[in-house]
Amino acid sequence: MPNLNQSELLAAWMEGDLSPQQQQQFESLCIEDDDFSKQVEMANRASLFAQDYQSQAAPNWNQEASFDYQASQKWWQWQGFSVFSSALSIVAIVLVFSGFEASVEGGKMTFGFRDSGQRLEQKVARQLDEFKAQQNAALNDYVASLREQQLDASTQLTQYLLASSRQERKEDFGELIKFINEQRNDDQLFYARQLNQLQNAIYDNPTGKP
Amino acid sequence: MFEKSDQQLISKALNGNKRAWLNLIKRYESQVYNYGIRMTGTREDALDLMQEVFISVFRNLSNFRGEGCFRGWLFKIAHYRCIEFYRRKKPHQALDDSPEIESGEPCMETSMVSSQNANQLVNAMQQLPLSQKAVIELKFFGQFTFEEIAEQLGISANTAKSRMYSALSKLKILLEVEYA
Repeated sequence: MPNLNQSELLAAWMEGDLSPQQQQQFESLCIEDDDFSKQVEMANRASLFAQDYQSQAAPNWNQEASFDYQASQKWWQWQGFSVFSSALSIVAIVLVFSGFEASVEGGKMTFGFRDSGQRLEQKVARQLDEFKAQQNAALNDYVASLREQQLDASTQLTQYLLASSRQERKEDFGELIKFINEQRNDDQLFYARQLNQLQNAIYDNPTGKP
Repeated sequence: MFEKSDQQLISKALNGNKRAWLNLIKRYESQVYNYGIRMTGTREDALDLMQEVFISVFRNLSNFRGEGCFRGWLFKIAHYRCIEFYRRKKPHQALDDSPEIESGEPCMETSMVSSQNANQLVNAMQQLPLSQKAVIELKFFGQFTFEEIAEQLGISANTAKSRMYSALSKLKILLEVEYA
C-alpha cells in the first residue's frame, strides 16, 4: 500500500482501516510529529464528546403538512388529452377545408383531396363559359351582320322602288303631258278649224247673217 | 412485532399511505432535528430546517432508487437544505468562510441535556465554516464513512478527509480557548 498523507492516514485510522504498514507509519508519525499526534488526540476527543451528546426529542410539529401526496393520475386523466384533442380538432378542420376525401371503390380505400376534382370542374366550367361567351359573340356578330345585310337589301329595294316609281311617274307625267299636249294640239286644231269655218262662214256670208 | 424497513415504508408512502410516511418521519425526525441544532445552533432554526428537509424528502421520494441507504440520502437532502438555509440567512458569506461570531457567549441551548464536553464541541462547531462543520457533523455525530460523506456533500473522499483534518485543527484551538 502506498504511503498516505497525514489527513488520509488520520481518516484511515478513524475508520479502522489501516494496513500494518500504515499502522506503523501512523504510530511513528504520532511519536515524531507533535501536530499530528494532537490532531489524533482531537479526533479522539471529538469522537468521545459526540458520544456524550444527548439527542433532544423533536418538538411537535405538523408532520402531516409534509405529506404532499398527489394521487397518480389515471390514464383518462392524462393532461395531454386536452392538447391531443385540440390537435385532432385542428387536423379535422384542416382536412375539411383542404377537401380531404376518403373513398372506397372496388374494395380499395383511397384518400385524396377534393381540391383536384374541384379544380378540374372549375377549369371545365371556365372553359365552357369562355366557349359560351365566344359563341354568343359570334352569334351577335352574325345577327348584326345579317341585320346589316337585311338593312342594305331593304335600302337597296327602297331605293330601287323609289327610283322605279319615280321613272314610272316621270313616264306617266310625260305621257300625261304628251296627252295634254296632244289634246291641246287637237283642241287647237279643232279651234283652228272652227275658226276657219267661222272665218269661212263670215267671209262667205258678208251680210252677217248665218 | 416486525418493524417495516425504510424501503417498505417509502413504497407505501409513495402509494399514498400517510401512516407509513409518518412512521418514516418518526424514525428519523430526532436525528434530523439534532442535526439541525448542531448545524444551525438554535432550536428554532433546527425546527424550521427539519420541516424543510422532510417536505423536500417527500417531494423527492420517488427519485430515491434504493441503491444506497435511505439515511444517507436523507442527510444528503438535509445538507442541501442546510446550505440553502445558510444562504438565506447569510447571503454574503461563502460556505468556506468562518462564520462571524455574533456574541462572545457560547450557544448553550444544548446544555440542558448533553454533557458539558458535548456542548463545548457543538459550540465550537458553530465557529467552523459550513463546509468543515458538515464533515465534523456527519463523521462524529452521523457516524458516516468518508465515502458516504463525500457522496452526500458532493465532493471527493480526499477532500472530505482534508476538510476533516483542517476542522480538527480549528476545533483544537477553539476548545483550548474554551478550556482556558
